[in-house]
Amino acid sequence: MSGQSPYARLWLAIAQVALALVILIPFFWMVSVSLKPGDEPFAIPANLWPDNPTLENYVTAFRPEFRVYFLNSIIVSLSTVTIVVSLALLAAYTFTRNQTRVILVLMALVVAAQMFPASAIIIPIYKMMKSADLLNTYASLILAYITVTLPVAIWMLRAFMARLPVELDEAAAVDGCGPFRTFFSVILPLCRPGIVATAVFVLIVTWQEFLFALSFTSTKDMRTLPVGMNDFIGQYGIRYGELMASSVLISIPVVAVFFLLQRQFVAGLTAGAVKG
Amino acid sequence: MGRGGKGSAEGMENRNRWLAWVFLAPAMILVAVLMYYPMIGTAIESLYSTSFINPNPQFVGLKLYRQIFASGDFGQIVRNSVVWTVFVVLLQNVFGFAIALLLNQRLPTSGLMRSLVLLPWILPGVVAAILWRFMYDPQLGLINSFLIRIGLADQGVAWLAESSTAMGAAVIAAVWKGFPFSAVVYLAALQNVDREQIEAAIIDGAGAVRRLFSVVIPSMREVIVINVVLTTILTFNYFDMIWVLTRGGPQNATHIFPTKIYELGFGQFRFGEAAAYGVFSILILAVLIALYFILQRRGQKAARA
Repeated sequence: MSGQSPYARLWLAIAQVALALVILIPFFWMVSVSLKPGDEPFAIPANLWPDNPTLENYVTAFRPEFRVYFLNSIIVSLSTVTIVVSLALLAAYTFTRNQTRVILVLMALVVAAQMFPASAIIIPIYKMMKSADLLNTYASLILAYITVTLPVAIWMLRAFMARLPVELDEAAAVDGCGPFRTFFSVILPLCRPGIVATAVFVLIVTWQEFLFALSFTSTKDMRTLPVGMNDFIGQYGIRYGELMASSVLISIPVVAVFFLLQRQFVAGLTAGAVKG
Repeated sequence: MGRGGKGSAEGMENRNRWLAWVFLAPAMILVAVLMYYPMIGTAIESLYSTSFINPNPQFVGLKLYRQIFASGDFGQIVRNSVVWTVFVVLLQNVFGFAIALLLNQRLPTSGLMRSLVLLPWILPGVVAAILWRFMYDPQLGLINSFLIRIGLADQGVAWLAESSTAMGAAVIAAVWKGFPFSAVVYLAALQNVDREQIEAAIIDGAGAVRRLFSVVIPSMREVIVINVVLTTILTFNYFDMIWVLTRGGPQNATHIFPTKIYELGFGQFRFGEAAAYGVFSILILAVLIALYFILQRRGQKAARA
């Protein structure tokens, strides 16, 4: 807003510093504890920052089972992102280009689907996976994750594609493009920012998914990172130094992807939420 | 769609319609098989009784519902779910809106803060929960260390182990994790508010507070309402935070629908009762979802008018 008095600017600056503290203190604490050697995380009262910071917790945290969890998370997340974005592109394109009554009803059903609780439908899905002999496999997790993220992905891409004018398709048709050519060589390239935003969103959701992974995986070699972390709590007593080091390690991939792609991500995320 | 009226154009329309179904089919089949069909499955499941000792499902009709109503748990879980949802949604949206206003100001640090603000939301849920669990730790936690150091407490409070504080502690952690999303959405909406209206209000001599309440908030009403409903749904369904912080304890004090369903189903293999709780949560959400669609349609009509 224009015409801020110096006094008002001071207060606003103080408020922003307070906000930064609220956001960053828990992160600071996480990093600080992860760098504390040996028994220091258990010192009372706690030290804000270790006197002799060390990376030893990271070395212990990166134990073989953690590497397995990491690999599992990567396999499951990347497969989900690829499949969901592909399916959602096709569906979103149809939803914005063929608005017949039946298709509008289907779209409403898809939007509604993302709002129902996973916990309420997990038991029948669990039993389906069991009878298909898919429990404790990547396939069961990927299928579940596709299902929970697909509606949101369609919703985000639809908001994005709705802004591409239909005249584009018509012009492509006049130039002799069939519907497939139109979709792949005209529409897809223009959707790149929307695709990036959707992919990042799906990645953030699947990377942290907990409930399905907790229920569908039973052996250590199939656990994903969030479930593995949850196991760590009980397994080794609470070894906070290591736990915080693993927390940092788990967060790095998503935080890095976010900072690399944040401009497109925020634009895509809010396009759906603001314009409905 | 352009309607040429010529034979070839009509042929293409038909082909497009056929293609539309091909494009939609994979997504629709997945959503139908893995989301809508299981909802019916949950309703059926709730009519059968199983337990750890007796794993073969036995048809019992509505007996499990009667059992649930008769036990004190159900009332408590409804109350907990309401408290949890109302407070998280309220705080998250009020705080998120205030932060959006703050980040919308032209200050040298606003750009940096806009990047930082999403951090808690990106942090994996289990990590956020473990982090807060540690912050609340009676002996080792940052919060108690701070309170003791400034002399507000003699010894650490076990925030998550006391029935009176556990829910409040969980709410604060969830708000910390969730407010960035609201803040970013509101910030985007603030940037869409008509500048001319604001300038007209300035010329009319309206102060900042007056402008906020008579220009900015009314023009954002639709976004606010939709986001409140959306965060209500997401919060009602939120499993990770409470499960990692307290597992629903102490003595059910923080159990909400998702955690209770998980505990009954996968902790005690009482799938029937878990499913009955699931049916209730589907019904509650169906009401909220209907509300979302009604409000959104009304908003679209208002926007067109």
